[in-house]
Amino acid sequence: MPKYEPILLKNMLQPGYTGSLAEYERAGGYQAIRKVLGKVSPADVTAVVMKSGLRGRGGAGFPTGVKWGFLPKDYQGPRYLCCNADESEPGTFKDRQLIERDPHQLLEGMLLACYAIGAASSYIYIRGEFVLGAKILEQAINEARAAGYVGKNIFGSNTTIDIWVHRGAGAYICGEETALLESLEGKRGLPRVKPPFPATHGLYNKPTVVNNVETLANLPHILNRGAEWFASIGSPPKSTGTRVFCVSGHVARPGNYEVPMGITFRELIYEQAGGMRSDKKLKAFIPGGASAPFLTPDHLDVKLDFESVALAGSMLGSGGVTVMEEGTDMVWAALRLMEFFYHESCGKCSPCREGSSWLVQIMRRIVNKRGQLADLETLTDLCKNIAGRTVCAFGDAEVSPILSTLKHWRHEYVAMIHAAEAANLIRPEPVGAKQ
Amino acid sequence: MPDQKPETVRLTIDGTTVAVPKGTLVIEAARRVGVMIPHFCYHPKLKPDANCRMCLVEVEKMPKLQTACSTPVAEGMAVRTATTTVDDAHKSVLEFILANHPLDCPVCDQGGKCDLQDFSHQYTPTTSRFTETKRIFQKEYFSPLIETQMNRCVQCLRCVRYCDEIMDVKALAPVGRGTMTEIKHFGPHELDCEFCGGCIQICPVGAITSRLSMYEYRPWMLKRADTICTFCGDGCRITVQTKGNELIEVNSAHGAGRNNGDLCARGFFGFHASSDADRLTHPLIRREGKLVEATWEDALEYVAEQALRLKLAHSADAFGGLITSRCTNEDLYVFQKFMRQVIGTNRIDSSARYGHLNGVQALRRVQGTHRWTIAFEDIVAANALLLVGTNITETSPITGLKVKEAVKKRQASLVTMEALQPAIDTLSNITNLALQHFPTHPAQFGNTVLGLTKAVIEGNLVDATLAQQAPAFVQRLTSALQGISWENLEAVTGQTRTQWTETAKILAGANRLVILVGNGVLRHPGGDATVTNLLDLLILLGKLDKPGCGLGPLAEENNDQGAVEMGAVAEFFPGPAPLDDQPVRDRIATVWREELPRTPGASLTEMLAAANKGSLKALFVVGENPVGTLPAEAQAAEALGKLDLLVCQELFLTETAAMAHVVLPACSYMEKDGTFTNSEGHVQGVRQAINPVGDSRPDWEMFSALSVLMGSPLEYGDAREILKEIRTVIPGYGLLGPTPTPPKVDQAVLSGYLTQGFAGDAATRYAVSQPRQTGDGSFTLMFVQTLFHSGKLSTHSKGLLQLQQEGFLSINPEDAARLDLADGGQVKVSNSRGAITTTVKIRERVPAGLLWFPEHFDGEAKQLAEWTIDPRTQIPYFKLAHVSLAKVS
Ligand SMILES: Cc1cc2nc3c(=O)[nH]c(=O)nc-3n(C[C@H](O)[C@H](O)[C@H](O)COP(=O)(O)O)c2cc1C
Ligand code: SF4
Ligand code: SF4
Ligand code: SF4
Ligand code: FES
Repeated sequence: MPKYEPILLKNMLQPGYTGSLAEYERAGGYQAIRKVLGKVSPADVTAVVMKSGLRGRGGAGFPTGVKWGFLPKDYQGPRYLCCNADESEPGTFKDRQLIERDPHQLLEGMLLACYAIGAASSYIYIRGEFVLGAKILEQAINEARAAGYVGKNIFGSNTTIDIWVHRGAGAYICGEETALLESLEGKRGLPRVKPPFPATHGLYNKPTVVNNVETLANLPHILNRGAEWFASIGSPPKSTGTRVFCVSGHVARPGNYEVPMGITFRELIYEQAGGMRSDKKLKAFIPGGASAPFLTPDHLDVKLDFESVALAGSMLGSGGVTVMEEGTDMVWAALRLMEFFYHESCGKCSPCREGSSWLVQIMRRIVNKRGQLADLETLTDLCKNIAGRTVCAFGDAEVSPILSTLKHWRHEYVAMIHAAEAANLIRPEPVGAKQ
Repeated sequence: MPDQKPETVRLTIDGTTVAVPKGTLVIEAARRVGVMIPHFCYHPKLKPDANCRMCLVEVEKMPKLQTACSTPVAEGMAVRTATTTVDDAHKSVLEFILANHPLDCPVCDQGGKCDLQDFSHQYTPTTSRFTETKRIFQKEYFSPLIETQMNRCVQCLRCVRYCDEIMDVKALAPVGRGTMTEIKHFGPHELDCEFCGGCIQICPVGAITSRLSMYEYRPWMLKRADTICTFCGDGCRITVQTKGNELIEVNSAHGAGRNNGDLCARGFFGFHASSDADRLTHPLIRREGKLVEATWEDALEYVAEQALRLKLAHSADAFGGLITSRCTNEDLYVFQKFMRQVIGTNRIDSSARYGHLNGVQALRRVQGTHRWTIAFEDIVAANALLLVGTNITETSPITGLKVKEAVKKRQASLVTMEALQPAIDTLSNITNLALQHFPTHPAQFGNTVLGLTKAVIEGNLVDATLAQQAPAFVQRLTSALQGISWENLEAVTGQTRTQWTETAKILAGANRLVILVGNGVLRHPGGDATVTNLLDLLILLGKLDKPGCGLGPLAEENNDQGAVEMGAVAEFFPGPAPLDDQPVRDRIATVWREELPRTPGASLTEMLAAANKGSLKALFVVGENPVGTLPAEAQAAEALGKLDLLVCQELFLTETAAMAHVVLPACSYMEKDGTFTNSEGHVQGVRQAINPVGDSRPDWEMFSALSVLMGSPLEYGDAREILKEIRTVIPGYGLLGPTPTPPKVDQAVLSGYLTQGFAGDAATRYAVSQPRQTGDGSFTLMFVQTLFHSGKLSTHSKGLLQLQQEGFLSINPEDAARLDLADGGQVKVSNSRGAITTTVKIRERVPAGLLWFPEHFDGEAKQLAEWTIDPRTQIPYFKLAHVSLAKVS
């Protein structure tokens, strides 16, 4: 028996649960939407979600009900809901499980969100590599459509809500909500300049809500069990409900753990994930996906809620907790992530495009023992010049591995550079950015 | 222009208060107070993309720096552009942009006019911290005229956005990700697009350049002349850049001219027509059957002597004159004055005859103006636009851009009646943007318009006051149209009643309705009737004289409008005024100090007929080439062969010039001063960019010289003096301000038309015209103007020849499949007049049953064309043929 009551993972934790429509219904599925359709006004649904304190699980943690409230009230044309299932943040793998193991939970959540915002069409933008997930969603939508739960006049009401699956083509940036919308429109997936925000100018320039899979999957439960119930879980008032944390790295039992927000990292890592995989001690961890700055053992008692992690100098982000043991080369670890960001920078804006290639080349040099002390200053400087000056939040994200490792483990950089100098490897040849 | 006053917003820029219209971007507001914020991706024509991050500024109360190019002003906003934070941001962004830049300024054509160079000069230290390996793109062949050097690209996407937002061509795209983002075109072949040169013009660095001028110059070596393009009636302002006396490049500054700095391939890449090696450089006289070089004195004296002799022996009406409307107003004016005063005949004509006159005559008849009552600005501001037979992208590309702007940026409703169908390919296609498109057979424009008028009447959309003011007009049209059944109209046109009805509602609901009519109507039989009927449509909707509404016929040649206004046609004195307009005749006579000829004029076809009969003895031909242009049936060669004196003023030894007794080398538009009047009636200055090629002279100068030798001197010091005289003959004529002031509907003429004027031909205009039965094949072949050429002049331009250098037959894919024709294969095109073999080009935009052949390369193909002369207007039509096709294997 798990210590905390699972909400989102509850069904799938039942032995033999296949996630079919019949099983989802047997487990109490599609009751929330039945309860709400035509009986509770869309505005009241939004009010319930607002009261529950639910915040986005995609990374930014924006209050979901508030986001819905930004849609223009008097707008007559179409509105859209987009489910962000692009989950590409290194160390994050919760949406995938939610989709593959209990697709109808997500679909019901989408129906509720569509109903609340008045959208007749909605899209699931799913990461291209999630071939299985896309197939499962298609099947689930077909089942739901055949049952009259998706499509015209759902559940015999006069409400029409359709759901379509759209597969991405392998770009991390398409998880950024406006790049997602561009890609969905058939264009190159580049982030848009904001404002205007999707709430007013979203998909096809129409009012649009983009929500993460996990965010949406929470909705049936909130509507079934009430805002007060949800708001009592976790660390109210600002971080309510549970979160599915994806624990990876040097732990004994990597995996997804659904726990109420507000437990400590120590509890998550040592109790839930079984502690470290060997007798090597914990050296570092990333608390919220590759975009979140690294934390140290000193931060193990920080609570897993939005505010506490922010206060510790990082962010809860996507819920991907990556644990590193003693002996991990932190410069190398930062380079590894920098390689990712370099590879994924969409190239739209100059600081990120040029900065990522510059940063990665300096990091490669340092790791290849061709660094100089002056490089550390350049790294810091470049990071400062990228953050806050880009079109999207990718720019802030890509500098966090370097800045945070420099902050906590500067001596490892320095040692590496000194070793290089001692070996007299004075930059014979820089490592190129050939592709 | 829209008359609403926009709200103003007050803000401060570096402490200076400025009031600007709501919606203005910070970067633009700053410019107003003289603060230049550095930028790459921003361009006033494009939607903000804020990708380069160069324009970061501080905005009070905002935590982060903001991009000035995408931030709209707000009341009370305080912007700071000169703080250390901002300065540091500019430096650092520039450092990033320069990181991967090759810094190959010494061999870059942009060097000296490059934003990156200028900003670097301003912001960066002389050494760089970047010591890593620079990103290198593999050099790839891009296209014959546009060159890319992607290592220089700053990824601002201005080129891509221009090609999409402004041109609607979408030929360019960023390919790859991150630093490997490279601007490319689609497909595994060289760039295939409209070649407007816009990407070259808008690229802030040297990443996209013109191959025509590659490595030829440094900007400071060039001399510039602002003049007007010669290739179509849009009348674009171009800046011709020369080194020594060599033509190097043509471009157009943002905001310049009626084109706002945009150009088409002809304007941008066509300028070498003037420096073609085939240009005539010396006068030629026919001696013993052969044309041999002569001095100007000999040539002019010969012409003067012969002309005087023939005038004595016969009458003044044994003379005729023919002039191209590519000439300046000054040339056209002196030409007609020479013919009328020195020779004494009204037997003159110009290329405006081929179609433009149809439009002008209809405007004169219905609304009493010879010009548009609208300007380009009204196209942009229109709520609804109706395009009839324009194929606007290929014929009037810049007017086309105004239509695109109206539709794409301002959501105007576009209705198209075109012998064209929507399709995505390498050129933009205006019908892709249409809310309602009527695919129209070239012989069915008239009938398709009838359907629309019928729908307006039957949908009760006729203006209420009109029915009271002009009951006869409304009743006559109503009864005529009621007499035509929908079934009949649907059967002949292939359109549907529903679509007409829908469209009628769109047009009636528009506050600002603009109709544009193109060559598809003007250069085909029934052209003047169709234009008149379209004016009737505007009247019925109550919009003819409403602000922002009107009809504009699109001129094919750059100065078709000027040719009519200068009186270089048989039926008009300068004005234009009809030959029987006594007050005008008197006014001109006062200026000329001579009576004007009273005998009737003769049009081109009448002159040819007279020459054939032997009553026309001498012909002055200026830049026209009837032998090369008209089909055999016109018997131009036979007619000209019978003349005692054929004088040609020409740039090239055309088929007509080759028959002449004397050939005089003329200056092209690059070598002379003067004015052109564009489609919308805007009179614009033409300025000399290079010295005359060889011994060539402006056309007016030759007539002036001849007049002296013939004893009735028409002497002018320069083109400006001629314009001065034109102003006394046509009060107010001449250079207009930056925008034209279109005339207003003449209410007296309109009410005359509504009470009586309309009636004379109402019966024929409001009857279904039945398709001609020719007995020839089932395909309709259209000789069309293409985007890459203009008449035959452009076929002397080496740039344009690289885009298109021969004729080919464009055919719809289904027709091609049926006949087993492959793209690039050979096909025999034949009818009772002859047969040719040509290459097939399969294009989805060609409607089924139609074929297109570029008129610029119609050499042999011309023989297939049907030749009809409208008995009333004397307009010759020869742009259609009915043919059969057979595959050649
Ligand atoms: C570079 C970048 C990548 C992102 N990737 C994802 C993603 O894969 N999945 C996701 O749900 N949100 C992602 N986001 C966050 C989205 O932009 C957006 O905030 C989120 O989908 C909103 O949903 P929520 O309010 O339910 O969290 C990303 C943001 C950025 C800047
Ligand atoms: S910050 Fe990076 S990922 Fe985001 S828009 Fe700019 S280049 Fe693209
Ligand atoms: S080619 Fe020029 S205009 Fe196009 S993206 Fe590069 S720098 Fe910008
Ligand atoms: S041909 Fe016409 S549209 Fe093209 S540049 Fe010249 S005037 Fe402009
Ligand atoms: S000019 Fe503003 S971001 Fe490029």
